[in-house]
Amino acid sequence: MRGFVAIYKRELRSFFVTPLAWVVMTAFLLVQGLHFYLVLSHFAAQTEAGGDAGPVQAFFGQTVILYLPLILLCPVLTMRLFAEERRSGTIEALLTTPVTTAAVVLGKYAAVLTTYAAMWAPTLVYMWLTSGIGYVDWNVVGTGYLAVWAVGAGYLAIGTMTSAFTKSQLSAAIMSAMTLIALFILGIGEFIFPEGAARELCGYVSVWGQMNDFSRGIVDSRRLVLDFTAILLPLFVTVRAVDAWRLE
Amino acid sequence: MIEVSRLSKNYGSVKAVRDISFTVESGTVVGFLGPNGAGKSTTLRILAGFLGATAGNVRIGGHDIVTERARALEQLGYMPETSPLYPEMRVAEYLRFRSELKGVPRADRKREVDRVLERARVVDRANVLIGHLSKGYRQRVGLADALLGSPPLLILDEPTAGLDPNQIREVRALIRELGESHTVLLSTHILSEVEVTCERVLVIHKGNLVAEGPLRELGRKLERSTVEVLVSGKEARDVLEAVEGVATTRVLEEGTLERIEVELESADEEGRTCEALVFALAKAGIGLRELRPKSASLEEIFSQLTSEEK
Repeated sequence: MRGFVAIYKRELRSFFVTPLAWVVMTAFLLVQGLHFYLVLSHFAAQTEAGGDAGPVQAFFGQTVILYLPLILLCPVLTMRLFAEERRSGTIEALLTTPVTTAAVVLGKYAAVLTTYAAMWAPTLVYMWLTSGIGYVDWNVVGTGYLAVWAVGAGYLAIGTMTSAFTKSQLSAAIMSAMTLIALFILGIGEFIFPEGAARELCGYVSVWGQMNDFSRGIVDSRRLVLDFTAILLPLFVTVRAVDAWRLE
Repeated sequence: MIEVSRLSKNYGSVKAVRDISFTVESGTVVGFLGPNGAGKSTTLRILAGFLGATAGNVRIGGHDIVTERARALEQLGYMPETSPLYPEMRVAEYLRFRSELKGVPRADRKREVDRVLERARVVDRANVLIGHLSKGYRQRVGLADALLGSPPLLILDEPTAGLDPNQIREVRALIRELGESHTVLLSTHILSEVEVTCERVLVIHKGNLVAEGPLRELGRKLERSTVEVLVSGKEARDVLEAVEGVATTRVLEEGTLERIEVELESADEEGRTCEALVFALAKAGIGLRELRPKSASLEEIFSQLTSEEK
């Protein structure tokens, strides 16, 4: 796939030479640092050790602070991808080279996914710190990170798609944030609808449910199928969207 | 090198390009001339594979731009209008990135980037951020980019737009130079640009191809140029008409100062004839206050060309 590596490298570099990636990462780490501090304080305040959940499980699965920032930050990471190239016209130079649209979309997506992973990397320190003062189940750490990666990958794919819909970065961010919020609200349906298909569906798409499962070390393949659908479908639409406004 | 047949492009209900066909032979420099909004950029964008056509097809070096896209695009270097670039990249870095996209083998990339930096005369700005470049340099980076991989065909959309006169001269000289080793199709709305750089001209007006051919044939009407003079003194007209190279004269304003339109026989000889005019007037003791060339506006030429066709 010619051009994929070149586009990936350029895009990744562009994230880190502009302030955007640093702003997003700093904001993210401040929130997650506070989150982890609260979780630890909560456990430290308990007089007797009990239950089957430790701070790591709580961090990944029992609060909304883990993914609420993602609903805001993922759209910010992806909004630039196509909207900015269309606004400035650089997309014309990009798409008149002998590379395929799929290579362009995947290169950009891979770059934002890498940035997302880099954003999470420093939180490994929390796990290391916790392991110094108590027991850490590294399997749970593994499944926890798998879950945040899979959920985030879907969020970023949706953001990549909305970025291809418009020339305005702001519109792109708003569209993807609204989509993510809608998905989140759909997940709440699990606690509202009575027993039945609607409740099943809501439970299935619930990011809360997914984080809860994975934070207890349960890897449910249905959840992963959903995540991969949320990655592949938007990326497919992105390729079609880029071709559509170029060729129609 | 380029074969365009029955190409049309509609933007909704607006017909930007209407059923145009033309070919560009290898090794020629062809000017694509038309006023703003005539459909030049749209046509070039279709040729470069950026936009899809509503109808008709385009072949570049024998490869269809739609069905053999990659093959066709490897044949051409395209410089979009205003050459859009990434401001956060450095010039050489940007060109390395572009050479990778264009499939220049890894081992040749550095040499190739150095070559086009040299060719487009941007060596001295190789490590400058593109965002800090002047308009002229940005244009040259766009040109350097088009040269990457030495494609046999160059498509340049308004290569001199927005440049100052010095830069325009430089870019024109560069295009003439490139014309020796490449087929070049360039668009412009400036008539004199075509005269300076191109061998053949395609004239487009309101989406229609209104004229096509070597500049000499096409410009027979335009070969006669006119100058306007403002003189003090009588019998200036007779003096002017006696000068070699002057076809006719016409008095525009009478009075102590006379404004006279002088039609010259040949545009090529314009400079020499004007010199002769000045000498003749001075010799006759007639004061010359003003002398300026009058060129027919592009719109006039287009209306001439279109009325001739019909």
